[in-house]
Amino acid sequence: MAIRMKTSSGQDTAPTHGDTVVQRIASAVPGWVWWLAGIVIAAGFPLLNVIGVVETAWLRVGVVSLIFVLLSLGLNIVMGETGLLNLGYIAFFAFGAYTTALLSSPKFEIRWPFLAVIVVSTLVAMVAGFLISLPTLRLRGDYLAIVTLAFGEIVRLTIINLVPLTNGPNGITGIYSPRLFAGAKPALEGIEAWFIIDKPLEYYYLVLVCVVVLAVLLTNLKNSRIGRAWNALREDELAAISSGITAVRAKMLSVVLSAGIAGFAGSLFAYYSNVISPESFLFMQSVIVVCMVVLGGMGSIPGVMLGAVVLQALPQLIREAAGAARSDFEVYRMLIYGILIVVMVIFRPEGLLPDKIFKREAHEVDPRELEMTRQSLFDLEEGEKDLGV
Amino acid sequence: MEPVLELQDVSMSFGGLKAVDSLSFAVRENEIVSIIGPNGSGKTTTFNLISGLYEPHSGDILLKGESVAGLRPDLVHDKGISRTFQSLRLFSNMNVLENVLVGMHSVTKAGPFASMLRLPSVRREEKAMYDKAQEILGMFPGRFSGPRQLQPAYSLSYANRRRLEIARALASDPVLLLLDEPVAGMNPAESHEVMEQIKMLREKGYTILMIEHDMHVVEGVSDRVIAMDHGVKIAEGTYDEVANDPQVVEAYLGKRAADATA
Repeated sequence: MAIRMKTSSGQDTAPTHGDTVVQRIASAVPGWVWWLAGIVIAAGFPLLNVIGVVETAWLRVGVVSLIFVLLSLGLNIVMGETGLLNLGYIAFFAFGAYTTALLSSPKFEIRWPFLAVIVVSTLVAMVAGFLISLPTLRLRGDYLAIVTLAFGEIVRLTIINLVPLTNGPNGITGIYSPRLFAGAKPALEGIEAWFIIDKPLEYYYLVLVCVVVLAVLLTNLKNSRIGRAWNALREDELAAISSGITAVRAKMLSVVLSAGIAGFAGSLFAYYSNVISPESFLFMQSVIVVCMVVLGGMGSIPGVMLGAVVLQALPQLIREAAGAARSDFEVYRMLIYGILIVVMVIFRPEGLLPDKIFKREAHEVDPRELEMTRQSLFDLEEGEKDLGV
Repeated sequence: MEPVLELQDVSMSFGGLKAVDSLSFAVRENEIVSIIGPNGSGKTTTFNLISGLYEPHSGDILLKGESVAGLRPDLVHDKGISRTFQSLRLFSNMNVLENVLVGMHSVTKAGPFASMLRLPSVRREEKAMYDKAQEILGMFPGRFSGPRQLQPAYSLSYANRRRLEIARALASDPVLLLLDEPVAGMNPAESHEVMEQIKMLREKGYTILMIEHDMHVVEGVSDRVIAMDHGVKIAEGTYDEVANDPQVVEAYLGKRAADATA
């Protein structure tokens, strides 16, 4: 991070597009201040509910938003960092959610401890990611998008039809609440109650801690040799493999890791919602996660987090604003998302909080124009030589 | 002494076209060998064969006696061959420093979990990579100093992008460096500077195989020159020997010119 930090604190002398005064002031603030501000706002939000300023409905929106923050962080690894479009990402979320539902519900009367369930859910999703990556990683661009789209649908239809295991369209109900310390002696039951998570407020902080930890881990990874290898593959695959990067291995790592994160998020989602059914894992959900990543800024960790929060909070905001007409709102939700994405792609393709590499990619200039700029740079360089620079 | 690189009867064809036809040559340690030849004579195909982008249809390619023919490009790179491209292939949106750091991928080993946790071993490795990158970029005095290292590669001048590609190739301490037209598109002053840098690389002990059209540079740096035409090696020797070879003159200037000089 040491190397990258310098650039984020505004020393990047690269010509940036549309530098306004606000942006210049914003880039003068060190990165950690933004992080701290984000954490404080996120951690302080439920207190508004506690003191009665906002309704509990908002707290629920908060929990789901944070779960989608995890999802968009995960999708960002494949889509933003490695540049592979995955349109069936929600399938991995489903793997995690159903694993949790099976291991902690009356369905088979199993109640594994929380930590074991969440680890197994993550691993199951990772295995699914590994298996799907075997045939697909040799495909490129559009083909990969279509295969992952089909994969997402196959998983959903399998869930609907595999009734003995999944209860089909009815879903699995009555998922037990997580117990942080399971199997305590009866004498300790009073204390144990403290470690059961079943209120929105408790879920909120549980997921928030996961988000913060994951964001830190992924930021480290992004600034490591592995993150750079992903970026290199996205930029120029031929040059990357000729520089010693094993493309299949690096891509597989990115797919498996992102699948694992989706599985982890799915597990939290299953615990939180108590009930899961195939309706939660529609193709539209995959698209929404893609939208979150695009809106926030592909490749940018703070960006995709913001994107997820905005797209989750927006429906609730509009619902409240619409008031009585709330039942009609669902009809327009996707329309609004669609317009939002079109507007973003036209006016700010790099996203709300862009990643610096991706920002350049989004604003790629006409090569001929660039060549002309370079010609003038040639002359500059000659001048430099005289100055003995 | 065993040569660093040895091509034995390497052939490769695209459909009916023999791009490289039973090509054999060797590059010895700490030597600069240039391949010259008209366009379409199979020079870049030869490079692609050596660096693993193509698999030879017959023959063998040995790096220090070990066959690398048909290995994947990343494995060839691991064995110690790194290259530059004729049409620049930098990671344009990544900055100068990051481009060089990517070049070190195969000689570093931090795993995903260690990297996520940023363990002390990872920090040490990153620090070592950073220092090494400074050392390599320092070989091009004044070109990649200070804030320039944080500029995206696309914003560099053409000559600097060529230099950066060389720097990226050097990052993994290659046994053999393949330079595909290192001075293409440069003005005389710049190509002279790159020539001096290539000589300096030899002093540092690198072994270089290079494709070049600029005869001034070829003459200036090459220990030996190999001339190719239509996929076949037509001459090999010192610059003067090759430049005066009738077949070479014919390949470049046509039969009558060759007769005139003979």
